[in-house]
Amino acid sequence: MKSNFPSWSVVLFAALVLYPLFPAFDQHFFNVTSRSLGVELPGLFLFAILALALNVVVGYTGLLHLGIAAFFGIGAYTVGILTAPINPFGISFWAALLVATVVATLAGLLLGAPALRLRGDYLALVTLGFGEVVRFTIKNLPAITEGPKGVSPLPAPVLPGVTVDWNTDYRPFYYLALAALALTFYFLYRLERSKLGRAWVAIREDELAASCMGLNTSRLKLAAFAVTAGIAGFAGGIYATKMTSTVGPEAYDFNKSIFVLCCLILGGLGSRSGVLLGVFLLYGFDYILSPIIDGFIQASGLGQGKIWQQFSGWRLIVFGLVLIVVMRVRPQGLLPNDRVEEELRHAPPATGV
Amino acid sequence: MAALLSLDLLRAGYGPIDALHDVSIQVSEGEIVALIGANGAGKTTTLMSISGVVKARSGTVSFDGRDITRMPAHEIVKLGLAQSPEGRKIFPRLTVLENLQMGAFTRSDRDGVATDLEKAFVMFPILRERKNQPGGLLSGGQQQMLAIARALMARPKLLMLDEPSLGLAPQIVVQIFDVVKELNKTGMSVLLVEQNARMALKVAHRGYVLETGRVTMADEAQKLLHDPRVRAAYLGE
Repeated sequence: MKSNFPSWSVVLFAALVLYPLFPAFDQHFFNVTSRSLGVELPGLFLFAILALALNVVVGYTGLLHLGIAAFFGIGAYTVGILTAPINPFGISFWAALLVATVVATLAGLLLGAPALRLRGDYLALVTLGFGEVVRFTIKNLPAITEGPKGVSPLPAPVLPGVTVDWNTDYRPFYYLALAALALTFYFLYRLERSKLGRAWVAIREDELAASCMGLNTSRLKLAAFAVTAGIAGFAGGIYATKMTSTVGPEAYDFNKSIFVLCCLILGGLGSRSGVLLGVFLLYGFDYILSPIIDGFIQASGLGQGKIWQQFSGWRLIVFGLVLIVVMRVRPQGLLPNDRVEEELRHAPPATGV
Repeated sequence: MAALLSLDLLRAGYGPIDALHDVSIQVSEGEIVALIGANGAGKTTTLMSISGVVKARSGTVSFDGRDITRMPAHEIVKLGLAQSPEGRKIFPRLTVLENLQMGAFTRSDRDGVATDLEKAFVMFPILRERKNQPGGLLSGGQQQMLAIARALMARPKLLMLDEPSLGLAPQIVVQIFDVVKELNKTGMSVLLVEQNARMALKVAHRGYVLETGRVTMADEAQKLLHDPRVRAAYLGE
């Protein structure tokens, strides 16, 4: 199943690179809300990185992981603690981002080493538990994490030789997040076609056969955990600096983990393009479309004081309905990975040992 | 003759139950050894504990002069012990080529792997024809060929085949066993687990009969084939 680097992704990337060069476009179409699309997109890019990260464990390797937000949070807090002026470290954003990636990778190994002895649902429960443990640890260690209010303010990144306005102009973070997404996407594209990537798929397909082939399945699964955690931490580090704050422990709760998982399921497990589509639809709906609809309803003066005046108040109903319909009609996701699609269509006959 | 593989009083099982009780088996270099027995006799468990997938509770497994009883499965493959598991267990969504590459997972000699891949395609031309198709689309016989070829990609000293005739048409079974004989002529040692006792004993040099986790008979394959107890119990006569 060899395919060349997807050309649609190059086109999409080019379009996204060009978008901020036409500010009139941005203002014209979205002046119904207080914020423009360009302001929201960096968040979507970071979320896409997070979803691509989770895809390594859940999509490629076939292990259910319910604690991805914890690693996002670990990355965010590492950058926050290392760069905030209230702390004595004063490390530059770039170095801190690297440290965040490493720390999150190590945290992934730390969780994976004991947890991967478990299978299926039990593994999922441990990852869920880990996510909550991380959240409560952040909350209850105010000496380091500032407790519920989060570490802030965080300084903007410094680019040597260039002065950019990171605070009022959305474009610097837009390009930073887009570059990070492109880097992640390309890294995973290469990884998928590597020996390691194929080994993960083999484990998903038949773990017993894989170990008969001499695959060290526990180490390979641990590697998947570490890659997922590292990329999630990388995204978290950028997120914190973009928000100029680590926001607080509630930003890395179980809901976020589930939301990322929903993006994967909607778009198609194991498929990079599907995952991007899933993020675009769900994140786009939640953070971009809902506020726009709110703006429209308010501007039109309809439904003053009625329950549906605030569309974002009942968007979760729409959200849930969409997921149920997708699960019923298209369980393989909207843009499925061809291998996963096969798996769902023709489950292989079970053979005993 | 020095034994390539030797099981000494091996005991293994699942949960509270021992599936193997003090099983002792030897395979010498260049030999085909058949392990026959009914369903649930412990044949597959024997192979799985040799491969290190099931851990032995007591006794020893030694291979090529080394004790491999406590060795993890992935290291055992590296020593030259490959298995084509029961039910073939090919990776249905990986292509035929990728399946074969998985068989060579532990190897890092690219040139050697390329040579062996070519050998596999010469041995099973159908696999070359279908190398870019998902393994799951092959017929049962082709999947069995793929499973054997995949095991050979590890360049093993000993090939273990678990029920290669399972679910295949008689004609295909003959073809598979011909391949086993051919491989053996090139010097490959084979441990063959089969319910199809007649076919297995015809190609094998020696055989063991396994009953509820115990070796009850061990002899030259020809003698077993003519033994009245074997004929009554396993050859349907």
